[in-house]
Amino acid sequence: MAAISKSLGTVVTVPLAWLARIIDYPLRWWQIRTGQGGMAAVFLFPNLAIFGVFVIVPLVLNFLYSTTSGTDIFLPDRTFVGLDQYQRLLSCDDYTRRITCREDQFWTAAGNTLAFVIFQVATMVAVSLITALILNRNIAGRGFFRAVFFFPVLLSPVVVGLIWRWILQRQGLLNLIMVNLGMEPEVWLNDRAYAFTATIGVSVWAHMGFYTLILLAGLQAIPKDLYEAADMDGTPPARVFWRITLPLLGPNLAVVLVLALIKGVQIFDEVYVLTGGGPGTSTLYLTQYIYEVGFASILRNPGLAAAASILMGLVLVVLTLIQLWLSGRKEKAGKR
Amino acid sequence: MGRIALKDIRKSFGGVEVIHGIDLDVEEGELVVFVGPSGCGKSTLLRLIAGLDRPTSGAIEIDGKDVTRVNAADRGLAMVFQSYALYPHMTVRQNLSFGLENTRMAKTEITARIDDAGRMLEIGELMERRPTQLSGGQRQRVAIGRAIVREPSAFLLDEPLSNLDAELRVTMRAELAQLHDRLKTTMIYVTHDQVEAMTLADRIVVLRKGVIEQVDTPLGLYNTPANLFVAGFIGAPNMNFFETTAQGGHAELPGGLTVKAPGDGKITVGIRPQHLRLADDGEEALEGIVTLVEALGAETVVHARAVDGTGMVTVLSGQPGLHIGEPVRVALDHAQIHLFDADGQRIIPASG
Repeated sequence: MAAISKSLGTVVTVPLAWLARIIDYPLRWWQIRTGQGGMAAVFLFPNLAIFGVFVIVPLVLNFLYSTTSGTDIFLPDRTFVGLDQYQRLLSCDDYTRRITCREDQFWTAAGNTLAFVIFQVATMVAVSLITALILNRNIAGRGFFRAVFFFPVLLSPVVVGLIWRWILQRQGLLNLIMVNLGMEPEVWLNDRAYAFTATIGVSVWAHMGFYTLILLAGLQAIPKDLYEAADMDGTPPARVFWRITLPLLGPNLAVVLVLALIKGVQIFDEVYVLTGGGPGTSTLYLTQYIYEVGFASILRNPGLAAAASILMGLVLVVLTLIQLWLSGRKEKAGKR
Repeated sequence: MGRIALKDIRKSFGGVEVIHGIDLDVEEGELVVFVGPSGCGKSTLLRLIAGLDRPTSGAIEIDGKDVTRVNAADRGLAMVFQSYALYPHMTVRQNLSFGLENTRMAKTEITARIDDAGRMLEIGELMERRPTQLSGGQRQRVAIGRAIVREPSAFLLDEPLSNLDAELRVTMRAELAQLHDRLKTTMIYVTHDQVEAMTLADRIVVLRKGVIEQVDTPLGLYNTPANLFVAGFIGAPNMNFFETTAQGGHAELPGGLTVKAPGDGKITVGIRPQHLRLADDGEEALEGIVTLVEALGAETVVHARAVDGTGMVTVLSGQPGLHIGEPVRVALDHAQIHLFDADGQRIIPASG
């Protein structure tokens, strides 16, 4: 056994040693010429190159598309129109009435997304927090339940959407159970309120495991003896929660809140599979609007979609800045 | 107020018994130290008294009242944790007031108590700071302050000084002794440091593997250890032990030195390093070869190997000028030897 692992080691280390010897000379030369900063550039280059090709270049292209019009795909074929697309998205005759807007679908999608984000994030934070608090206790089968709640996070959003459509559709599992229990079946996905609620419930179900995990880690980082000290002082459980658990969980809650907000604004795949934005436009969210305007509709308008995605991007940038500010503040607090 | 009695306390964790029937009476105003090697159950015992854990069997009484099933908060005790357990997001003042606010105490009373504690512990200026802005010693004071403001019938201190550096530990030890002197409240103090135990305690409880080995005053433990474990645990450097056989009222030590020993059979002779001195010429002596010399200036600790291979340590006053590898002959004070039988229990000498 030892001989095998030794020879395996040789198989790995000998080529590595050769490789190291080959790149040693140029790296050494580079370091002598440029110092530590130059070496940092060398090691950062691969990641920066990937980031540039897949993030920066598309971002710039997206902005360029947003200043053009037409149905052509290739940028050189398109007509430059300046900020017309933005104007088209944002112009309404009467801002209190969505129907008077030139792109009323955009406003519908934005309004739906806002409502979705408010309800979904509130539900998400509450459900994840309660789940984390329960899983943090010494209950039987704790490991099993942790796995159960995390499992949906591993599923592809399309699978999530399909599973729930199969449960909620007119002849789905839920109605089957209800009929067998002697109840009237409901058209879950064809009712505006039910469908909207379903998109919230399904996305919470699919992602809560991730947020629960963050909160659980935060809960477990709170020293046990703080609770024992509170216990010695006869602190009622509610006061322990509000005065000890919640403040000490604050940084984790802030991370969860902002991440959930960002993910909420971006919501698309599972809802697209589950309701397709319907009934009507009642579950049409921004990303789906962008997708349909840019790619899926017959009268596709990549410029308009690009402009809408830039606007959505601005919202996300603001949210991300808030998150960075929060985590920076947390670091500062930690250093004090 | 503050009389604590333990009656046949046992505690098991998952079927493994770690406390094997402890009986102990702590008198009012007494400072009792639980001492023992790690894993001896001293912290577990403290947590049982505090009410943070429940004993598997046995009873705990405070001032004659059975509190075995009483919640921690209702026992009237205050605990100082090894980690201090200060609430990191609260100021010092909030840390001190948090526990009092649970009892619907009047605001003026809370303020008065906090100010008193602040003055007593000299933390008055730190009231608006958070624990992270305090030094180790200051945190320690706040932790003690949080216990004091509750005016408990007894303080429970779980290795309170172990997170401080050596110098601060000595200072805080003296302050704790003064504090106890002033408050005259019962204190139970857990430590693994025998110096802390010796300097602070009215009585020391030596624990090992969940049983009490001996309960006595510090000097009582030092002068008449009940068994080999206590003899070896209390006193620094550790007591020298020589295994030998008693016969006809005498036992022979390596080198031919004989000591009085009652009875017949295997015994262990214990001599503290401080009770050994260099032998005069012709005097009966323990003989050995020096293996290590630790010259501390005022005294010199000499490690030697006796002729039969037993290690022995001698604390000699001054600077005797011994070197590694040299032969050494040490004589002993016959009044200061300790005899233990084959089971490690102290043998009471028949005469004086």
